[in-house]
Amino acid sequence: MIKNYLKVALKVLGRRKFFTFISLFGISVTLVVLMVATALLDQVFAPEAPEVHGDRTLGIYQVGLRSEQIAYTGFAGYGLLDRVLRNLTTEVPAVERTSILSVQSTAISYLDGKRVESWFKRTDGEFWRILDFQFLEGQPFSQDDEKNGHHVAVINASTRDRFFGGKPAVGKTIAIDGQTFRVVGVVKDVPVLRVVAFSDVWVPISTFKSSTYRKDYIGNFMAILLARSRADFPAIRSEVAARLKAAEAGIPNPEMYKWIFGGADTLLGAFSRVLFSTNSLADSHPERLLGVFLLLMMLFMILPTVNLVNINLSRILDRSSEIGVRKAFGASSWTLVGQFVVENVFLTLIGAGIGLILAAAVLSTLNASGAIPYSDLHLNGRVFLYGLGIALFFGLFSGVYPAWRMSKLHPVQALRGRQV
Amino acid sequence: MIRHLFKLVWNRKRTSALLILEIFFSFLVVFVVATLGMYCWDNYKRPLGFSIKNVWQLRIETKKSDDQHTPEESATFARLLKEVKSFDAIESAAGAMGAPYEFGQYQSGMTIHHHDVTMEFNEVTPELKDVLGLRLVAGRWFQEGDEKLSWLPVVIDRDLARDAFGGQEAIGQRLDEPAPDGMKPKPGMRVIGVVDDFRRAGELSGPGNYRFDLKRLGNPDDRPGRIILVKVRSGTPASFEETLMARAQGVAPEWSFEVKPLTQLRESAFRLRLTPLIVGGIVAFFLLLMVGLGLIGVLWQNLLQRTREIGLRRATGASRAEVHRQVVMEQILLTTLGVFLGTVLVAQIPILDLIGFVSGRVFAGGLLVAMVSIYLLSILCALYPSAMAARVQPADALRYE
Amino acid sequence: MIHLQEVSKLYRTDRVETTALDNINLDVGKGEFISVMGPSGCGKSTLLNLIGLLDEPTSGKVALDGKAIDRYGDRDLARVRNERLGFIFQQFHLVSDLSVVDNVEIPLLYRKMSNKERRRAALAALDRVGLSSRTRHFPTQLSGGQQQRVAIARAIVGRPGILLADEPTGNLDSQMGDEIMSILEDLNANEKTTIVMVTHDPRMAEKTHRVVRLFDGRQVQ
Repeated sequence: MIKNYLKVALKVLGRRKFFTFISLFGISVTLVVLMVATALLDQVFAPEAPEVHGDRTLGIYQVGLRSEQIAYTGFAGYGLLDRVLRNLTTEVPAVERTSILSVQSTAISYLDGKRVESWFKRTDGEFWRILDFQFLEGQPFSQDDEKNGHHVAVINASTRDRFFGGKPAVGKTIAIDGQTFRVVGVVKDVPVLRVVAFSDVWVPISTFKSSTYRKDYIGNFMAILLARSRADFPAIRSEVAARLKAAEAGIPNPEMYKWIFGGADTLLGAFSRVLFSTNSLADSHPERLLGVFLLLMMLFMILPTVNLVNINLSRILDRSSEIGVRKAFGASSWTLVGQFVVENVFLTLIGAGIGLILAAAVLSTLNASGAIPYSDLHLNGRVFLYGLGIALFFGLFSGVYPAWRMSKLHPVQALRGRQV
Repeated sequence: MIRHLFKLVWNRKRTSALLILEIFFSFLVVFVVATLGMYCWDNYKRPLGFSIKNVWQLRIETKKSDDQHTPEESATFARLLKEVKSFDAIESAAGAMGAPYEFGQYQSGMTIHHHDVTMEFNEVTPELKDVLGLRLVAGRWFQEGDEKLSWLPVVIDRDLARDAFGGQEAIGQRLDEPAPDGMKPKPGMRVIGVVDDFRRAGELSGPGNYRFDLKRLGNPDDRPGRIILVKVRSGTPASFEETLMARAQGVAPEWSFEVKPLTQLRESAFRLRLTPLIVGGIVAFFLLLMVGLGLIGVLWQNLLQRTREIGLRRATGASRAEVHRQVVMEQILLTTLGVFLGTVLVAQIPILDLIGFVSGRVFAGGLLVAMVSIYLLSILCALYPSAMAARVQPADALRYE
Repeated sequence: MIHLQEVSKLYRTDRVETTALDNINLDVGKGEFISVMGPSGCGKSTLLNLIGLLDEPTSGKVALDGKAIDRYGDRDLARVRNERLGFIFQQFHLVSDLSVVDNVEIPLLYRKMSNKERRRAALAALDRVGLSSRTRHFPTQLSGGQQQRVAIARAIVGRPGILLADEPTGNLDSQMGDEIMSILEDLNANEKTTIVMVTHDPRMAEKTHRVVRLFDGRQVQ
């Protein structure tokens, strides 16, 4: 049956080339926009290298400090995170590893009098064991390096190109942010959209010029926690919440802040927490953010859908005599609806295929343009599946109403075509 | 004729409604993009209130939140500013909390004469007027000795003067910022001068209230600045950046620094504001192209269905030109209905005051652009199908089936 | 009134050339009611289209009211059709999306007139064909005979001197056909309207003043 449908569909599409063209144009333009957006989100959220364990990683990405009068929402200080994470892996076996890292900031170097800006992140040894970086040479710095304040650095390939002309860098020194570091490892570039992993240069936290950061509750740090499995998330969340609560006793400036808000979130949850200013300790409502994405997608798809429905209706009226014949020979309304919907989904899938090729072209142009540093946007199986899902939804949605109208056509009228 | 066409549209409700819906949504898309564009353009044409020629920023990273500082750090900052000023290549230098074109901002809210006023503020040293070329319109700017006053002198911009005091004289007025419990209240503020509208965030940002507080360098209560803005002599080479950094690092080894000409910040600010607009514009363009092609197809098909009606009209005395006109008029009628619905919807924005930043002019401009482009698109799409319709041979159209 | 002189019409397609009309000479006087008869495909409709200025002859001359129309442009032809001619078709050709009265108003839309006058004229025309009670209905709600009466009202609303009817009773049963025929006879008798009617039906042709017979595009009598 389906095969027969498809055969008819192909013939119909070939017969009215202009309509097929405008339908395909609309479908592929719509899907290009949606797939590019999906690829961007995928790069942020999907568990891919180096954030290979993203699906079982929680993070304390932002915290809130509050009193009745004032509120701070933003990155935490090292002091707060250190207090929350201390002995967590031994006391809570569900937590495999923890790491503290600073938000990357720009740092300046001068090479022959020319200013070079690099992204600069401070972190610890565990960072390299939670995230899976691809090392081109050397190795990561260790927890010992961090403890002892060794001036060592891991740099990415682009930085090696800038500083050392692409020659092996391990063992050489790099002057950055007014300090000098010995390069111990070189990793493949990480896209800027990987917010946790991204940087140009990574150095131990303890190389800070002063040690006051060790007590701060407010600063520019975040923490990641690797769970043994996703099933442990609730337990870890409540433990972190309890520890954040307990940390209120140690607020360095209690005359200003009394309470701490925040929690261990997935990356999606963290964005949702920021977007909706969620205060609850335990739940960051990631589903709300998904809802926003879905809503935006729907909003965007309204116009293309109405457009496709209009085109479909026209295509149907054009074929009223065929419908009349089919009805006269006993096809039920349902068969006709089915036929048209299959035809439309088929068309949408062709459009999706074209859209996929165009999206790949748009993404590689975007990567090449350097608009998003080190972006490695690409279509993978996941993005493809999302695109396919969107296309199917689009095809069903825009096909059902016209098909229903078609099935309502009276056979005699349909045979005659519309009167005048 | 219009009435007749209206009846046709009405009696073909279901087909017409979908076309009107499509035009309605297209109108909304164009309106949103056009309004954002008009907003940027409108802002771009306004005076900026400062000049960044030969101005560099020295950004200081103390790695601490603003709320925590020691008196030593304030003193370090004062020393740093003095060191920077001692360079020959530097005409003048000023300390501040925020720099032009920076992304973040310092916000403050207070009640003045029983109405709430929000403003952006900055704490600056007196040299800022020369560095950024501020233009005073009333009163005076900060001067030596101001740091010893028992109250805090502030200079506000024209927007804030208008918003806070209306037609009244602003000079001498008091401003009181509520201090959080347990914190030392700031000294009372008094307006000593008014400068031209100051739009720190740059050309593309909207107008807003602005206040300059005096940063008292000798006062341990005043936090260290985060920025030193320097005006370098013209012709200073870029390599001077490194010299400046090294000197700063020497004064405050625990802090991190970054030197950048403000023109660079301006570039990234433009990119940040224009990127969404450009992306939106490209997407809207493709959506409209899609709608345009769709309209041509649908109109063409609809007219094909109506060949006999057109033949009949030709037979009963419509000339080719009249058929042509009728089809275009029908399309204009549909467009008018869609645009009308769209206008009713977007008119809620100023009526309910939904989005504060949209001024009447920007709104009207966006509306006009949206209307003109949708009518243009619609008519353009009707031209080809209507020309086809006008070519219908009545004798063929009315033949037996 | 209507003057056709040595009129021929050829249809050319890529491969074949068909002669639809061959050297027709025809004169219809004012107030005359003639019928055109002949088997299918003999050129009856072509003849009517030529008289109705919907088509141009390949050779020969067509004149209305003594004026040759071969030099007329589209705009002038449209004006002549609008003011001088009324059409009635076998398939009625009513616009299904318009009410009865709106259908009747169509020819008047292409004249300068107020909406009120237009409405009054349309109602008068509907009254003339005995349909004043159905003005708000839509064509699909009417019987075939009623639809054809609406079509007649539309044809006469502009008070044309000439009515061209292409098998007006062809789609109707005999009783309805008779009704339509009597309306046409009445128009011819009382308003002195010139009528050219194409028909298959000898019973209808009998009622007209004169019968023109065509066979293979030639006038046989």
